[in-house]
Amino acid sequence: MKMLVTGANGFLGRHVLSALLARGHLVRALVRPAARVDDLGWPDSVDLFRADLRSTRELKPAFDGVDVLVHLAASVTGGEDAQFAATVVGTERLLGAMARTSCRRMVLASSFSVYDWSSIRGTLDESSPIEPVPALYARDGYSIAKSWQERVTRRFGEKHGWDLTVLRPGFIWGRDHAGIAALGQQLGRIQLVIGPFTHIPLTHVENCADLFALAAEDPRARGLTFNVVDGEGERIWRFAGQYLRGTSERRIRIPIPYHLAYWLVRLAFATVFRRNLKLPGLLIPNRFEARLKPLRYTNRRAREVLGWKPPLEFRECLSRTFGAAPATVPSLELAKKTG
Amino acid sequence: MKAALIGAGQIARQHLSCLQGLPGVEVAAVCDLSPSVAECAAERYRIPSWYTDHRAMLREVRPDVIHVTTPPTSHFRLAMDSLEAGAHVIVEKPATSTFAELDALARRAGELGRALVEDYNYLFNSATREILRRVESGEFGAVIHVEAMISLDILGPSGFADPNAPHPCLAFAGGAIADFLPHLASLANLFVGPHRRAHTVWAKRKRSVLPYDEFRAVVDAERGTAALAFSASSQPNAFWLRVHGERMQATANLFETRLTFDRLRPGPKPVQPLLNGLEEGKSIRRAALGTLLQKFSGGPGTYEGLFRVLARTYQSLADGSTLPIPAQQVLEVNRLIAALRPEGSGA
Repeated sequence: MKMLVTGANGFLGRHVLSALLARGHLVRALVRPAARVDDLGWPDSVDLFRADLRSTRELKPAFDGVDVLVHLAASVTGGEDAQFAATVVGTERLLGAMARTSCRRMVLASSFSVYDWSSIRGTLDESSPIEPVPALYARDGYSIAKSWQERVTRRFGEKHGWDLTVLRPGFIWGRDHAGIAALGQQLGRIQLVIGPFTHIPLTHVENCADLFALAAEDPRARGLTFNVVDGEGERIWRFAGQYLRGTSERRIRIPIPYHLAYWLVRLAFATVFRRNLKLPGLLIPNRFEARLKPLRYTNRRAREVLGWKPPLEFRECLSRTFGAAPATVPSLELAKKTG
Repeated sequence: MKAALIGAGQIARQHLSCLQGLPGVEVAAVCDLSPSVAECAAERYRIPSWYTDHRAMLREVRPDVIHVTTPPTSHFRLAMDSLEAGAHVIVEKPATSTFAELDALARRAGELGRALVEDYNYLFNSATREILRRVESGEFGAVIHVEAMISLDILGPSGFADPNAPHPCLAFAGGAIADFLPHLASLANLFVGPHRRAHTVWAKRKRSVLPYDEFRAVVDAERGTAALAFSASSQPNAFWLRVHGERMQATANLFETRLTFDRLRPGPKPVQPLLNGLEEGKSIRRAALGTLLQKFSGGPGTYEGLFRVLARTYQSLADGSTLPIPAQQVLEVNRLIAALRPEGSGA
């Protein structure tokens, strides 16, 4: 099959591209006009399409001969409006172009950030509620943009009768991307670990990419939403320790009970801070919950429907992340061998 | 009054936040080329209708006031259509690409008896108002000279210098810096009046997609002189306003709440620097705390001036009093902006 991968040179995109190549698919990589891809080690078979989803006048040619769109492009930096433009307006323009082609199948990279963390108790799974309006607008720019991106995509899918699969990864981590928000708050040499026994919804980037590649090719994934986690997840305290050891950063971990911190944040937000939404995310209750709430996570649906098993064990993930750097992306090596 | 917005991006959200708190103002509709952006703004600010076609919105909603908050190259057509539809127009800066366009808008607004207001929000910041109050009370003495300098890192890969998606402001003579000229020109106009002549230096010091990243100007105006500057390389980010009067000098950072005064004092001359220094230190400490508290307590922050401009504009439209930014001032400021643009730009 021929796959169009947006955001192909991003942190997740590079691994998804490799995983798709390893499975024998043809890949067209959509990257921004000024993106540098020379040092990514992509084989010549990768068909490069340079475009900016916000501004490139004609995106339809990107779909020539494409069977499946794997849409990963999203902004993780910049202000709220810049993120909305890159993530949502970009998606709107891309899917508007797709609607004028024969491509009818797509996989969207959504996010755990779309869930309503305040109302979920116990286990967070694909049936958990998503953040409602107006609470959504108290969330950060990334969550607003990802929620809208999923909303826009589902509308396009319904209108045009596409086969849509939505994957919602938890915290994606890997080499140079292990400093996730769940680690808590750094204050100089001190690392405040909030809710040290809480499990983190982790998915190592190579495991995550493997599920994207599987979902893109497997007809059983059509019409379904999957959460992407490697398992129940490490506890924050332990992962913070592994992170500090792996990065050789010298910080002293201080544990803070989750509920104590949460109620202090709620109290301060309602009184001293007068519900100011320009505060740092940790001081806004529903953003605090989205980062740190103690819940349980499962990849049961991916296992049961697609027979998926994360290819890398946690120990391997640690060594891939903090060990000696490989010359190229590991799965790309595999892609080159099998290709 | 029935208000509507064309353009629902970042600055539009500031307008909407303000309008929500204005008595007697109902935001009836919002329009954006992107359906998601328009619908999101409508949902977020509980606006009853949203559009992607501004003409359809003007026809169906018949707003009393239109806020034009799109990228600036589209302002002229949208503002003209809004005037023709019978609405007053509040347009974000820069109002137009050229003085000829601005002049055409101002003439049409005059013919139709509609208001045309360009947003010079920094004229209405607390610091600027306090300096102006002291000037008007006579305490300051006559203003001899005003300096306004914006130091802002616009060379980063997102925003103005995005190498992937050209920023709309790059279509202007002067590129991204043209987006800031209305701030500088309006402050010069406020303190020293309409300009007579201007000398400029436009330069490019760093590699980027921007045509220029440094700008300096010396302006001779009716009541004094002005030195205006923009630097993309000087850090930290700041908007320095320094006003030199006959009896007092004021220094403000309009990105913060800092405002200090040096003044002639009674008593022995050698003591004056000490007293001015002590007063300045006290003001800076107070302002530093104020800036921090402002961040934590919410509110409009650096957009406080915009909130005042909008509140006063709506008040004037309701009671027929003089607009906070009258048409004559918009024309004068835009004449200066035209004189500040790079030579040979034809603008």
